[in-house]
Amino acid sequence: MLRFLTTRAGDGILTLAALVTLTFFVMRLAPGGPFSSNRKISPDILANIEATYHLDEPLLQQFLRYVWGVVRFDFGPSIRFRDYSVADILISGLPYSLTIGLWAVLVATVTGVTLGILGALKRNSIIDYSAGVIAVIGIAVPIFVLAPLMQVYFALTLRWLPVGGWGDSWRNLVLPIVALSLPNIAYISRLTRAAMIETLRENYIRTAMAKGIGGRRVVWNHALTGAVLPVVAYLGPATAAIITGSIVIETIFALPGIGRHFVDAALNRDYPLVMGITILYGGFLIVFNTLADILRGWLDPRVRNE
Amino acid sequence: MPLIQMTDSLLRVRDLVVQFRLPEGDVTAVDNVSFDVAPGEVLGIVGESGSGKSQILFSLMGLLAGNGRVSGAAHFAGQDLLAMPPRALDQVRGVAMSMIFQDPMTSLSPYKRVGDQLAEGLIVHKGLSRREAGREAGRMLDRVRIPDAARRARSYPHEFSGGMRQRVMIAMALLVKPQLLLADEPTTALDVTIQAQIIDILAELAREMGTAIIFVTHDLGVVARLCDRVIVLYGGRIMEEGPAAPLFAAPAHPYAKGLLHATPRIAAPLSPRLETIAGTPRAGGAMLPGCPFASRCDQRIDICQTAQPPLKVIAPGRLSACHLTGNAA
Repeated sequence: MLRFLTTRAGDGILTLAALVTLTFFVMRLAPGGPFSSNRKISPDILANIEATYHLDEPLLQQFLRYVWGVVRFDFGPSIRFRDYSVADILISGLPYSLTIGLWAVLVATVTGVTLGILGALKRNSIIDYSAGVIAVIGIAVPIFVLAPLMQVYFALTLRWLPVGGWGDSWRNLVLPIVALSLPNIAYISRLTRAAMIETLRENYIRTAMAKGIGGRRVVWNHALTGAVLPVVAYLGPATAAIITGSIVIETIFALPGIGRHFVDAALNRDYPLVMGITILYGGFLIVFNTLADILRGWLDPRVRNE
Repeated sequence: MPLIQMTDSLLRVRDLVVQFRLPEGDVTAVDNVSFDVAPGEVLGIVGESGSGKSQILFSLMGLLAGNGRVSGAAHFAGQDLLAMPPRALDQVRGVAMSMIFQDPMTSLSPYKRVGDQLAEGLIVHKGLSRREAGREAGRMLDRVRIPDAARRARSYPHEFSGGMRQRVMIAMALLVKPQLLLADEPTTALDVTIQAQIIDILAELAREMGTAIIFVTHDLGVVARLCDRVIVLYGGRIMEEGPAAPLFAAPAHPYAKGLLHATPRIAAPLSPRLETIAGTPRAGGAMLPGCPFASRCDQRIDICQTAQPPLKVIAPGRLSACHLTGNAA
């Protein structure tokens, strides 16, 4: 286990290094810069500003300077949000995205797996069809359509929940969490249903039935593992994506998370912030993929030795 | 009514019909099969692939595929297995009757330790604690001659070879000391060198426990060595039935003759090529009138394709379903 973790940590650092390098240079290839706006800036002032952010140095030198900073956990200042460092921005927004994201992952997993198993066990029943309808809606209807509809109905018409914003109450969290988990509920339930149906056709399930231990025990004790393995694999990258926030959800529900920076930072050519966001997301991806692999190894002894 | 009546049969199968509903129409896999198994007896069921022999076992265990329909009766210890709801059947299968499957590579759960898979039946049916059941499981693994059984019980199936896995399956099936063991081609998927060992272990343990076996196979050598009585199945119907030794010495039905003739023998004088039965096995599907073997039979007469030959007594304890042999009796 220790060897596995050290190997994965080494791989992770290499992956991050490649990610940082690629992002840094590809981003600079894109036309424009942080100060190219409609407003005319006099060349002298522009030169001054660029010198402040070291943008006048050769690209390679800028890269080395950035890497040297990252090694010391200094991710540089944001160009757009003056007086804030990239670290400040991410650290202040992350708790909101994490709270909503982790809840959404939990809700999506529990609901999705339950619906998937019920659908597989009672195929072509009302439950199965309802789960199928939820899945189609969750996958096909974009969240920027569903979320405002939810606001109109649950917040404005029924007045059960606030329209948006971040408050002390759990009630502020309900709509964003539901909206964020819906597409994942849909996907996870389809994944679980297919895997469960496939598992129930396995020979070892027949063996278990032949032992006369009862259908319920066969499902929970023997078939469940096979049915959740694909979900575990999916949850690794999905969790990383969900907990880093969503610009759509954060905009619609007026939440101060970090999801909006993914888009804004790139549009503003806020180079250090783009890099910071990329490293954060990449780090989460690596961590959660490793966790998913550990969980998979715990469930399936055959992957343990790989 | 079968022509051989046993007074003390353990299993009494009557008019067993197994059909599968397919998009192309219904297919009859087992067609009106009746037979008895005495306590401790070893009954062999032989036939080609698709002759319906495995489906007989699956229907008795309540393990037919979802599109399978069964009719007839199968009395085991006073209860009709075919009429029992799954929950009642769970008091019989894995308790008084257990089954060994064809493919040991896929018939064990890859996610559970072998010892736990064995112990489960004892925990559920006999109320043993995990520890007691685990100890019993280890002892049974030792009896099927798995080396270092107590330690191996903690291994997972993928850490065993095919032959070792089939030993595990045998241990699992016999752990509950069943009265009847259904063995579905337990050696087909194994290396030839392993087959004999597996058969010996199985036969020895069953004899010790007084367990009756229905042994389904297409390996006639195994049947000759192991079985007291043999049923030859073709197209879902019994072609010939009788005690193993006389049946092998002088098969009566043309199909049984062909089957025996097609068995390669090392001791026999070298023949230039493998003997075969001409034609291809009848594909499932619409049942034709007449004998299912008629199209491949070299002794076919006109009536064979129009009337189904009934099973007839041809000698004490021997039955054959052929228009020709019937007259000879």
